[in-house]
Amino acid sequence: MNCEVKVKDRIGTINPIFTCQPAGAQYVSIGVKDCIGLVHGGQGCVMFVRLLISQHLKESFEIASSSLHEDGAVFGACGRVEEGVDVLLARYPHLKVIPIITTCSTEVIGDDVDGVITKLEEGLLAEKYPDREVHLLAIHTPSFVGSMVSGYDVAVRDFVKKFARKGPSNGKINFITGWVNPGDVTELKSLLKEMDIDATVLFEIESFDSPIMPDGSEVSHGNTTIEDLVSTGSATHTFVLNRYEGGKAGQFLEKKFKIPSVIGPTPIGIRNTDALLKKLSEATGKPIPDSLVRKRGIALDAITDLAHMFLADKKVAIYGNADLVIGLAEFCLDLEMKPQLLLLGDDNSAYVNDPRVKALQEYVDYPMEIVTNADFWDLEDRIKNKGLELDLILGHSKGRFVSIDYDIPMVRVGFPTYDRAGLYRYPVVGYGGATWLVEQMANALFTDMEHKKRKEWLLNVW
Amino acid sequence: MPYHEFDCSKVIPERKQHAVVKGEGEDLTSCLPKGYLNTIPGSISERGCAYCGAKHVIGTPMKDVIHISHGPVGCTYDTWQTKRYISDNNNFQLKYTFATDVKEKHIVFGAESLLKQNIHEAFDAFPEIKRMTIYQTCATALIGDDINAIADEVMAERPDVDIFVCNSPGFAGPSQSGGHHKINIAWLNQKVGTVEPEITSDYVINYVGEYNIQGDQEVMVDFFRRMGIQVLSTFTGNGSYDELRGMHRAHLNVLECARSAEYICDELRVRYGIPRLDIDGFGFKALGDSLLKVGLFFGIEDRAEAIIAEETARWKPELDWYAARLKGKRVCLWPGGSKLWHWANAIQEEMGVQVVSVYTKFGHQGDMEKGIARAGVGTLAIDDPNELENQEALLKLKPDVIFTGKRPGEVAKKMRVPYLNAHAYHNGPYKGFEGWVRFARDIYNAVYSPMHQLSGVDISKDDYATDKGFVTRRMLSDASLPEAERASPLTGYTGAFDPIAALRAKTDADYPQFERKTSSQAAE
Repeated sequence: MNCEVKVKDRIGTINPIFTCQPAGAQYVSIGVKDCIGLVHGGQGCVMFVRLLISQHLKESFEIASSSLHEDGAVFGACGRVEEGVDVLLARYPHLKVIPIITTCSTEVIGDDVDGVITKLEEGLLAEKYPDREVHLLAIHTPSFVGSMVSGYDVAVRDFVKKFARKGPSNGKINFITGWVNPGDVTELKSLLKEMDIDATVLFEIESFDSPIMPDGSEVSHGNTTIEDLVSTGSATHTFVLNRYEGGKAGQFLEKKFKIPSVIGPTPIGIRNTDALLKKLSEATGKPIPDSLVRKRGIALDAITDLAHMFLADKKVAIYGNADLVIGLAEFCLDLEMKPQLLLLGDDNSAYVNDPRVKALQEYVDYPMEIVTNADFWDLEDRIKNKGLELDLILGHSKGRFVSIDYDIPMVRVGFPTYDRAGLYRYPVVGYGGATWLVEQMANALFTDMEHKKRKEWLLNVW
Repeated sequence: MPYHEFDCSKVIPERKQHAVVKGEGEDLTSCLPKGYLNTIPGSISERGCAYCGAKHVIGTPMKDVIHISHGPVGCTYDTWQTKRYISDNNNFQLKYTFATDVKEKHIVFGAESLLKQNIHEAFDAFPEIKRMTIYQTCATALIGDDINAIADEVMAERPDVDIFVCNSPGFAGPSQSGGHHKINIAWLNQKVGTVEPEITSDYVINYVGEYNIQGDQEVMVDFFRRMGIQVLSTFTGNGSYDELRGMHRAHLNVLECARSAEYICDELRVRYGIPRLDIDGFGFKALGDSLLKVGLFFGIEDRAEAIIAEETARWKPELDWYAARLKGKRVCLWPGGSKLWHWANAIQEEMGVQVVSVYTKFGHQGDMEKGIARAGVGTLAIDDPNELENQEALLKLKPDVIFTGKRPGEVAKKMRVPYLNAHAYHNGPYKGFEGWVRFARDIYNAVYSPMHQLSGVDISKDDYATDKGFVTRRMLSDASLPEAERASPLTGYTGAFDPIAALRAKTDADYPQFERKTSSQAAE
């Protein structure tokens, strides 16, 4: 077998690729309208995650902290949650949903967040806010389990679990995008529109690409409403694009409400987008329209200019969230490229048995490594000490110094991408995403040819 | 009554004592807001935690060190690559960060053997680095791992390495400030006095409370070297671990940031009798006075005077060019702690702007005391302002620019208030004479951005001009200036994009050589 799947062979982490669970839950929470997450833990667990997300989106949004201090760590801090909920409700009149997101500290001290919610519902909400629609839910995301990816997955499930109700079929599909960018949402919505499919797009962050308005009044917020979440129990199907970023919610809806769940594929590249459209068509009976044949053709036209001339056999390393990395690797193979190293964010034991990973192991005919629970040292050590040669790196901004120090061109993709302008605005999914990705990769290689004076004259006549 | 009550905070009455407006004829006894108290849960404060105060703010600028956090991976990831403290060893400490990656089984069974294995792995991966700092986090503090014991074991097994342990979990205090204190004292207790430094000058200082944001430290050390002063160590920006172990041999502690590092200076005075001199690298006057004070302490004020004269002649005209154009511009000041008072007066005096508010994230009452004393009548002072209070204040004060962090900067952007990064700077360094001009330049560029003007135009309602294809900053800033000022032959800042590169290229030969005193002279 040429493609090996292994767990990182060190116990520690040198330059982490991912952050911890509460960050994923926080990213989900900003996709919900009239919602402010209350993270139960130290203040850094919120302050830095808000900084991280705001660096990526170049936008602001609200997430609160229970501000765990020493006394709470010693004597229990449930009172901080009670006070935090009251303060939020009193100061944000539009607020309807408060997910209480736990962290390592409050899980270790064993605060009974579910119990606090019951207490608040029977006490504070009934007494002080009797006429107000308020929903509290607990999201347990201890930092010592999983990663930001599993935190996203858990939070999506918990939101759906909290709100979904069975009603008469609403004729819509649930569409769980996973951890994507505003540009991805726009692209996915356009695919759905062309297919004439009515969908509830969940944890929808499209409007985080928002304007400065002349009166200074614009505020970015998520677009998924409580009604949307309630209606997930009445849908015809659930489409989960990213297996590890919404899969749990799909399973829940299938089990509880018998709503069939379609997991994947992550629609990166032509082939995976084709597959998604076919599955959508099969589920809804809607035909794939000519407009999408044309849009697909535009992507193929762009790719044909580039793939066999410039991209073929280029060696690439890819890191980040597992679904993204696998999707990108599949697309790269279709583009005749040779992914050498895939670094999958966390220690999720399911990755080894992922059918897409199995397929890579079966068909890849050159040495490829897939490392789980990986860190950036898995990449850098191979380049620095073990002779790994790369033409391109695909991944998020935290790996920027590998690219800079070893002079390997890099296309920023995933989360976060704070060191390049505007990337949240562009899709990597769908046909639009395929076009954008292939052109970004080509331009990165072109710039590198010129920078290193390596056959830069090739482009004289292209 | 000087307290300022925000409409948005009426429902949390305890907030009322955290904001004041400085009134006419009022002194600090009647207008000092409360500070450094526990944060109100759910208020959406901008504060961080004591772990970040120790690891992210004070610890990590130390350059030749493996910085490893003992806990789940998030604390490490989140505090990595979010600051601009550079170093002259190719930014090792900025580029590499380490986490022991504590998982659930370690929470249950303990994580000490995990830590030990991690330490060995990290030293093995970077054989050229022999120094390490271990930071405790919430999780490992709560499970009670004995980090010091593990560090001692490893030091016994690897005699060529040295390890510093900082026990400052995230929950230890109301904000990052608690972590500043903890790491200061821990360094002093564990490491100071364990290396004997080589003394090469008659004038030896520690430069304390300086974090080399965008090269600030290198700018300041250049001045000290030009004065023939040996900078034994910098705590901690661009600082070296072993140099900082020799802090006890300095003649003077020169303290820049009295919020984050006065603790170590005060203890060095008690334990080693080293006096403390507070200085300020921001602003021509404050910096000049600071260099003079240091010069006076050693009896070499002539060397300071020469530097001040040279730098002032070079940079003052450019500063004045900006000051004429920034006159009366309204500034909101929302830094972490000490810049509140480092900047409040200096930018008013030297750049002509008007400071309309001073906020602090994690400052103590002492910071507010100095900040309010240096601010004008009518200034709004807020301790730990939260999201809604900031927005309410922006609407009320209508500033021309706000100096704050990245994320609150995004809030300001939407409200059409330009922002400058108060913590990491836009295009620093801001210390030094040239740096101060760079700061003025950044303010000017923000305030007079032609795009800022355009963003206020509602093309659906307003009558707007169509006669120009472009507008320059100068057209905007000079419109209401007196003719004499408009005719200035200057065009603003003329320095380089990266002024630090030239400093790093300097060798000993580029600095004046001063005779050492003989031993009998030194005894006098």
